[in-house]
Amino acid sequence: MNDPKKKHKSLLAGAKTIRAYPPLLITIVLFIGFSILFPDRFLTPMNLSSILGQFVTIILFALGPSMVVTTGSLDLSYIGVWMLGGILVWRFTPLLGMAAILVIPLLGLVTGILVGLIQVKAKVPSFILTLSVSAGYAGLTSVLSEGYPRVVRGYEFLTAKLIPYVPTALLWTMPLIIVAVFVMRSTKVGAYFYAIGSNEEGARLAGINIDRYKILAFTMSGLLAGVGSIIQFQHLGGSVPLTLNMNTLIQPLTAIVFGGTLLTGGSGGPDRTIIGTLAFAVLYRGLYISLINPEILQLLIGLVLVLSIVIASRGLKGVTIT
Amino acid sequence: MAQSTIFRGFQENRATIISVVTAIAIISTFQIINPSFLSPQGRITLVYAMSYFLIAACGLTMVIMMGSFDFSVVSLLKLAALICVLYIDDIGLLVIPLALLVCTGFGFINGLLFARFKVPSFLATLGMSLVAEGLALYLSRGFLYMITNRTFRALSVTFIGGLPSIFYWALGIWAVSIFVAFCTPFGRYLYAIGGNPIAASLCGVNVVKARINAFMLSGFLSGLAGVLYMAQFGGGSIEIGADMSIPLFASVVAGGTSLAGGTGGPHRTLLGVILITWTQAGMSMLAMGNDIQLVIFAIIAIGMSILTTNRKSVSVVK
Repeated sequence: MNDPKKKHKSLLAGAKTIRAYPPLLITIVLFIGFSILFPDRFLTPMNLSSILGQFVTIILFALGPSMVVTTGSLDLSYIGVWMLGGILVWRFTPLLGMAAILVIPLLGLVTGILVGLIQVKAKVPSFILTLSVSAGYAGLTSVLSEGYPRVVRGYEFLTAKLIPYVPTALLWTMPLIIVAVFVMRSTKVGAYFYAIGSNEEGARLAGINIDRYKILAFTMSGLLAGVGSIIQFQHLGGSVPLTLNMNTLIQPLTAIVFGGTLLTGGSGGPDRTIIGTLAFAVLYRGLYISLINPEILQLLIGLVLVLSIVIASRGLKGVTIT
Repeated sequence: MAQSTIFRGFQENRATIISVVTAIAIISTFQIINPSFLSPQGRITLVYAMSYFLIAACGLTMVIMMGSFDFSVVSLLKLAALICVLYIDDIGLLVIPLALLVCTGFGFINGLLFARFKVPSFLATLGMSLVAEGLALYLSRGFLYMITNRTFRALSVTFIGGLPSIFYWALGIWAVSIFVAFCTPFGRYLYAIGGNPIAASLCGVNVVKARINAFMLSGFLSGLAGVLYMAQFGGGSIEIGADMSIPLFASVVAGGTSLAGGTGGPHRTLLGVILITWTQAGMSMLAMGNDIQLVIFAIIAIGMSILTTNRKSVSVVK
């Protein structure tokens, strides 16, 4: 172990990893910084557990969209799927019993296919299309709930405590993360997504069926959002909010940008988003415990987001954008 | 032969025809269901509902016809309104230039991020809207404030010829926007950039400058809408404009300004704003809830974006 050559090698590998994922360095620096500044508040098991909990909340929403952003589009329909899915579970539980929970992935799948079809065939910009979908679903959620928050019981086993201080939802999230990373890194589909994102016209000329793969991206994102929402639903207490909260909508997007993905396509992916989400969770909790008045938190998060998109877009000087 | 001419005319003006027909259909439907819809009192309600909306929508139209998007309009409206109500007791009517200056500054940063640093416009404006919301929350701390200054309120609620003055402000801004879009080099540059930014740049248009100016204009108009909104309502909290972003966007595309850029313009936005805000007011008069209205606006937004996009001329859409 004490062989200097070997040590050098592992250091080199570490440096390589950080070069591939610059946000990793930021996460480590943030973590150490907050630990030194607030040793009695930041390094408590309670706070570390909260960081993991927040990580789960954000990554479940961010995984699907981080696949879509590699094609250059954007999917914001996850909030809508989560809200409407949650209220549909409440509606269908008397009818279907435990099987009602499967309504959420089904809704995600259908939404993904529909969004993909509209985006590809009607050529509507995806971010505004999916934002409208989310807003419409939020309205429907409120209509279906008849104005009261609805709690569904019976799925508590999903988040029952297994390991102290580790949210059980994190264990459920792992397979989803692995599937997403595997699809993007090791399959033809993932390679095609990156190709479409970096040059759609070029990918078309290379013989890739653009329309089919774009619809596939939205479908997979919708399905991931649906499956993730099952965990999210119980992770956040078996009920959903009735109004669309822009902050819940923006946080996953912030995490994707934090990971170093600029939303113009051709780069990024779920692996980067994991690190971005971790960085965001550490920063958020660190600021949260260190501030005297919480009102300024949102302002600081906004400033950090703007700063990080400027840094992430430094290589785009010659690119045309809209 | 005549038939084909009519058909071609329809093809060319499809967006205009669709919005005119929809607007007339919606207004007559509400008038039939609810006979007091166009009564003098109903008219004032309708005018109040559409005026600040029209001002904000004019700014957004300028950005959309340039092929970009401005997410921060609603946040800046909120920020301007809150600046007015928070500081009017300290500095009097000087709050108006202060609010406008802050919003124009935000617009300038939006433009800078987009045009100079090459950040996609919806992402840049999304980030800045988070900053604006955070600033508004920090300044107001979530409380509700009321305005007692009568001179300030008179800006919007003085009645001239049976209609409140905010309506004439909105019409004036709308007319100026049309003038800017059609009769100034800046307006023509916006269309050129929306059609093809590279071609515009090769023709000698200073694309970076025009883009920054468009975002500054949008920020300024959002601020103005916020000031007049506060003068109209006389108070508010951080909740101002909470459900406004989807209807606002829907009103621009419903007017016939395509998200692809290069077409449409402020002259069309009036129709879209009438369509959206009158539907909103009509549904509220019929005691339909905010939630079902949101569903309907989302459907209008998606439907009109599909209808107004000319699919033959657009090759790549993100």
